[in-house]
Amino acid sequence: MPVISLQNLKKSYKLGDNTVHALRGASLDIEAGEFVTITGPSGSGKSTLMHILGCLDRPTDGKYLLNDRDVSNLSRDELAAIRNKQIGFVFQGFNLLPRTTAVENVEVPLLYSRPAMPAIERRKLALAALKSMGLEERAHHHPSQLSGGQQQRVAIARALVNQPSLILADEPTGNLDTKTSIEVMRILQELRERRAITIVLITHEPDIAAYGTRIISVRDGAIVSDKPNDPTPALEHVAEVEAPRMAANGI
Amino acid sequence: MIPLRQFLQLALQALLRNRMQTGLAVLGMAVGVGALVTSVALGRGAQDAIADQLRAAGANVIVVTAGNYMAAHKVIKDDIVEGRADPNPLDLLFPNSGLRKVSWHPASLSGGLLQAVGGAQGRLQKVHFEDDPFAKHDHPTAAQRLGDAMAGLGSAATLTREDAAAIRKIPGVQYVVSGVHNNSRVFIAGHRDEKWFTRMHGTEADLPEIRTGWVFPHGRFLNPNEVEGKEQVMALGQIVSDHLFGPKVNPVGKIVFLWNQPFKVVGLIGSRSWAQQPAVGDDEFDAVYVPVTTVNHLLDLSKLNNITITTKSVGQTTQVAKEIGDLLRKRHKIADGMPADFTVKTQAEQVIGKGLSPELAYAVGGNAKSMDQLTIAKLSGSLERANRTMLGLLAGVATVSLLVGGIGVMNLLLLSVTQRTREVGLRMAVGARRSDVAVQFVLEAMLLSVAGGLVGVLAGVLASGSLERFFKWSADISSMSAVMAVVVAAVIGMVFGVYPARRAAQLDPIEALRHE
Repeated sequence: MPVISLQNLKKSYKLGDNTVHALRGASLDIEAGEFVTITGPSGSGKSTLMHILGCLDRPTDGKYLLNDRDVSNLSRDELAAIRNKQIGFVFQGFNLLPRTTAVENVEVPLLYSRPAMPAIERRKLALAALKSMGLEERAHHHPSQLSGGQQQRVAIARALVNQPSLILADEPTGNLDTKTSIEVMRILQELRERRAITIVLITHEPDIAAYGTRIISVRDGAIVSDKPNDPTPALEHVAEVEAPRMAANGI
Repeated sequence: MIPLRQFLQLALQALLRNRMQTGLAVLGMAVGVGALVTSVALGRGAQDAIADQLRAAGANVIVVTAGNYMAAHKVIKDDIVEGRADPNPLDLLFPNSGLRKVSWHPASLSGGLLQAVGGAQGRLQKVHFEDDPFAKHDHPTAAQRLGDAMAGLGSAATLTREDAAAIRKIPGVQYVVSGVHNNSRVFIAGHRDEKWFTRMHGTEADLPEIRTGWVFPHGRFLNPNEVEGKEQVMALGQIVSDHLFGPKVNPVGKIVFLWNQPFKVVGLIGSRSWAQQPAVGDDEFDAVYVPVTTVNHLLDLSKLNNITITTKSVGQTTQVAKEIGDLLRKRHKIADGMPADFTVKTQAEQVIGKGLSPELAYAVGGNAKSMDQLTIAKLSGSLERANRTMLGLLAGVATVSLLVGGIGVMNLLLLSVTQRTREVGLRMAVGARRSDVAVQFVLEAMLLSVAGGLVGVLAGVLASGSLERFFKWSADISSMSAVMAVVVAAVIGMVFGVYPARRAAQLDPIEALRHE
């Protein structure tokens, strides 16, 4: 059973007098445990696809089955509940709340769980998620006291805290340097390998796309290629990138 | 259900991030609530003052006067003549002068002038030192004669302190105060020639319990020991003190001369209420109060002009008045069917009769039984109308201030929604429903305005306290009105928070996340 099943998905919206066809009929199945990267130039419709996959937007036409449930026509509040329980988001800009500690940031999705979760429970889950990202010692730091990589790891912890089946990452490395980007990719790979979490990642960088097990290219609102990929192993890659730098530093 | 505590905490965190803006919005709200609290306090104070006035006007006061005013009475209908003040002897002498404070040099007076003065009154009579209309007030024996003359239309004074003691034993009687009253002149050392013509009241220590409209800015009233000890002590009305010592001077401990005798001032009497301002010529504040025993001792009097009684409840007044009448008739051995040598009147009757010409006063006295209700009702009615006007004004100010405070809250929240658009988008992305977002903003608005409300209540308490203390306005803050003010603030916060909250809740998460 696929986690995601798109059937002839279309999305158009009006921009003044013109109708923009952002998606012109995309069909796609993503199985549990896949690490799918979606690439495409800007304006290709990959962001629109991402928003629909993330239940932030509804298709104009076609069907979207998430874990076998048709979510194409749910109300805003029903979609909110699905985002809360089944999807974890990782954004390019991290989107952490400023002047709010890491652990409080991780707790945010739990605030909107129904039925309401006791504060102690929330704190426990949030700390566990931070720990899995190796950030338990930074739990009470504010985002401004954390490095970019640490901030993105807090964001990943937040995405994981409700134990979703799907993680959607929208250019998660766009604001990070190469080394940190590779670290983040390694984390995502490990999530897939150890916890069998399905990951869908949007990027316009081919070398980031190469970390996925399947690469989908989007152009002009349609899927132009969809092929399996032998993922770049991020673990070794770090060493590769690090070695010359360490040598340059005389280590 | 929404985890309210957590949401409150979130709201608080959000507000504390913008301390300056939050502080200003709270201030705006506090001004509104402060104005509300103050106006309610002043309104309630004014109502209390009116109740005091009514009590002071004598719903429960009975006055027994020596002499009989009621023997002859005609019934007159509605043509009550506009009241005028007791004629002042000086005004009779110098009708157009308005002169009150006079320098008097007896040595320089020629008999001719006194003759002329006597002539001005339309009475040709032999001028004698004691008949000098000024000087006789300074002379104990002459004052005694005057006192007797005033004690009951020329009849001998008939009331005694023993009568007062007997009245005290009637059930339902609260306070009994004996009185001897006179027009007298007072002066201070070194200013013998600048005498102040005023009312002298010989009285007892309980009088302030009856005159509920009094306050003592300085000192106190006569105490029972001073009354029993016939001490030469005096409480000054505000007007007398102002003229003898100057305004805003504490007269306590100073010496005032009455009948050429030194009296030590123990207290200053002012008015509690804005509705009753001390005025020259009034009977309460243009007056001096000395122990009745001292007066009787110095003037060698054994009788009283009147006895003032209060009943414990207003409803008993008529019954107690009747019992007093019966008691005194018995004590004075007056046969059934014979006119009494005293008059029992409620304060209301007293007030109505005051300032009328004698024949009219008799007539009114006969009619007064039916008139007191009318007059008290009229008095309270007009006071309440004035009070309502003032309250309406204050309430208007408070409403406008609250409105401004509410707009301030709304302004801050709209700003906040714009500044925190990305945060709203993020919350929505991770599962916040629109209602969750709306509730959070409404809670922020309510927190702001409740904080403003609390500060406002505090400010209002301080403001009405100061108004009461420094401007002598009556203010009455109840805990109920404080609670109500905070509730009103919360409701206003809710109302003015709804629009920004709706704006936040209707944001599109995708757009919101892209917002810079």
